[in-house]
Amino acid sequence: MNMIEKKSDRLGEHYYLIDHPTGLRIYVYPKQGYHSTYAIFGTKYGSVNTTFQLEGEQQPITVPDGIAHYLEHKLFESEDGDAFTRYAKTGASANAFTSFDTTCYLFSCTEKVEESLEILLDFVQSPYFTPETVQKEQGIIGQEIRMYDDDPNWKVMFNLLGALYHNHPVKIDIAGTVESIAEIKAETLYTCYNSFYNLHNMALCVAGNIEPEQVVRLADRILKPSKEQKVDTLFPEEPDTVVKQRVEQRFPIAVPMFQLGFKEHAGTKRATAQQLALTDIVLEALASKSSPLYRELMDAQLINASSFGYEYFEGPGYASIIFSGESRDPDKAAQLIRDAAVRLRKEGIDQPTFERARRAVYGRNLSALNNAETIGNAIISLSFADRELFEYVDCIAQATLEQVNKRLSQQLDGDKSALSVVLPIDKQ
Amino acid sequence: MTAINRQQICEGVHFSSVPDSRFKTGRITAAFLLPLTGETAAANAILPYLLCRSCREYPDFTALNRKLSELYGAALYADVHKVGEVQMLCLSAVGIDDRYALDNQSVSRELTSLLCSVLFDPALENGVFRSEDIKQEKRQLIERIDAEYNDKRSYAKMRCEELMCQEEAFGVSVYGKREQVEQLTAQEIVDAWRRALRCARIELIMLGNSDPKQAKEVFSQAFSRIEREQPAKCSTEVVRSADEVHEYNDSMDVAQAKLVIGFRAGTASPDEDVMATRLMTALYGGTPHSKLFLNVREKMSLCYYCSSQYDRYKGIIMVGSGVEQQNIEKARKEILHQLEEVQNGNFDDNDLESAKMSVANSFRSVADYLGGLEYWYLCQTLEGAMCTPEQSAENITKVTRQQVIDAAKKVTLDTVYTLTGQEEEQA
Repeated sequence: MNMIEKKSDRLGEHYYLIDHPTGLRIYVYPKQGYHSTYAIFGTKYGSVNTTFQLEGEQQPITVPDGIAHYLEHKLFESEDGDAFTRYAKTGASANAFTSFDTTCYLFSCTEKVEESLEILLDFVQSPYFTPETVQKEQGIIGQEIRMYDDDPNWKVMFNLLGALYHNHPVKIDIAGTVESIAEIKAETLYTCYNSFYNLHNMALCVAGNIEPEQVVRLADRILKPSKEQKVDTLFPEEPDTVVKQRVEQRFPIAVPMFQLGFKEHAGTKRATAQQLALTDIVLEALASKSSPLYRELMDAQLINASSFGYEYFEGPGYASIIFSGESRDPDKAAQLIRDAAVRLRKEGIDQPTFERARRAVYGRNLSALNNAETIGNAIISLSFADRELFEYVDCIAQATLEQVNKRLSQQLDGDKSALSVVLPIDKQ
Repeated sequence: MTAINRQQICEGVHFSSVPDSRFKTGRITAAFLLPLTGETAAANAILPYLLCRSCREYPDFTALNRKLSELYGAALYADVHKVGEVQMLCLSAVGIDDRYALDNQSVSRELTSLLCSVLFDPALENGVFRSEDIKQEKRQLIERIDAEYNDKRSYAKMRCEELMCQEEAFGVSVYGKREQVEQLTAQEIVDAWRRALRCARIELIMLGNSDPKQAKEVFSQAFSRIEREQPAKCSTEVVRSADEVHEYNDSMDVAQAKLVIGFRAGTASPDEDVMATRLMTALYGGTPHSKLFLNVREKMSLCYYCSSQYDRYKGIIMVGSGVEQQNIEKARKEILHQLEEVQNGNFDDNDLESAKMSVANSFRSVADYLGGLEYWYLCQTLEGAMCTPEQSAENITKVTRQQVIDAAKKVTLDTVYTLTGQEEEQA
């Protein structure tokens, strides 16, 4: 078995990468002196994988919206009971989540870590779907969807994605709709499971109070070797342009909310660790609390500190920079952000601003290494995009002004931006 | 390893340190503990936000934040918590540990002095806070109050607590009322600041790898210039049981109805049986193997979430769920029925053992989070005894089956709150 130690002297951190013979990539990140252990077992399969082609098959398969999330719920049930009941005997706090491009099962515990890890590896490898168990979940997920229907943060985001993307399935709600999940059958769940829950398409990370030997010993015993199943997700052609520049919805809220997205050409390759690092520095320079833009928005009373934020939203076939927050006047806030982006692209970032931004981004990423959960989640999501954690932090520390300005010139194109706003319901 | 060293530095002011070399960052917090009252809540609540904005040394907001960016993305955080009927105002400085600075800067030393500056030496004009700063922070505090309405799950819980405890100080919003914030004058705010420095109970707490001696020294000096008074008493009125059931409903344009049920627990900190009630609440509805999860969600498919939370400082238990409007009665019945099940001892040793492990796990996990550990100890100072998370985990394992049943029997139903959709548009 191939085990490599990854080390960062700068950060005083190390972890192990193991290529397990079953095809699973395993990361073990010991944290000296920690009480808890966090484990996350994920597959590169999320809500965007709705149409896919299996190697050796003639026809691509299209599955109902929301099925990856439905599968996540149902995987907790096995023939001999559900995983929560098994975890109840170890004290682990367990959960799972489905994102646009991954589905992950996780737990955190301070005792009986090997027993908990055994449960995790076992239940994710033991699908059990029957018409009855599938039917039962309709009510529960139906209520989860209804809860999102009332969530203005959720709506403002999906409205934005709908305005940015013509065809890419990233615009579809992760949980699907009450109608789409009604179409889900046990056999479709098996099709998705067999296509994407192949150890070659998955990764495991265990961080905190743990040693690599413990994980390897368990993996050897419990992982079921499987033949690699090649699967290609087919994404429809996505134009570089946005669908519409503005979208609006009314909601029972008191303060309007907005999300402003700048769409980028994503192509078939994921952004590199360096591109991510440079974008983080660009955004820090443009919109952090020490930026002129933040000051301008604040002075004009257009944002508040508790809600304003920004992120690089990037995945297979999609990439956008998104600004979000509450604002008494979302259109004006968006206008100021767009103007500031134009200005910054024209003038470039100056040396002192760059240096401040580089340090701030470095410090924040360093802080993230306090937390086993953050580490585990980051490693899994980096792994699925073929990036490496320490490389990413090194890219921040070593970034130059020229690289950052070059990256800036390729991003934040106001012509490809869209604004989503959620407004309070008018009182008649 | 997570033990705390707490010393008094002057009347009502304590400095604590939790030395810990595991973390990449350090944090130092000043917490002001004041009685929560309807008259003072708003003026107190705006303080930490206002103070974090600037100081005499960095009167300009952008200049202050540039300084923080240079200190490797350090941050000043303001927070206001309600712990029982105590309003806890927190100002924290958080930054990377000196070991990881790319040059050899001492981040911790600079952050300590910055925290002192914002606390003791704000940018005043004619003896009061500047009007532009006040305007900005009033607006943001009002938006914070307004935003509580956005998340219907937490809004419903807050409404239920507010209605249930309307005759008690606990019913006061931690930020005060919107109108009160609007009407705050510059003089009232500066008076609140001086009063907090003079007579709040103050807990200073430092966590991380840096030497606490220097920070303690800096704060001791700063406080030596303040004329401290006997600190205001921080206590919480505990209503032991409910004598009648109150029902409330709000309606708004929502897809999913919310049901929140408020109980009087009959037990509150510092009672000895707090741990039994904590465990009972976990068994009842605190985990994915609890009575509520297994029955209301898994068996009846009525909801996505249905869970119980115990507020040990106020001695109340809240159960929340999101359901279809026509299922409210069904859910309510089942939630109450499951409480009876616990009261009647209808759970086995496995259920009890699982609940114990789950609660012990959440206690022990606290020790791995700087912020979690800090909040833990801040709350502990209110309880008198300083228990480490590990000790509390130990204590939970000692609770017996009979103690859980007894704890459940003390619980009484007080308030049922529903948030429902508008069936018909009102004229």
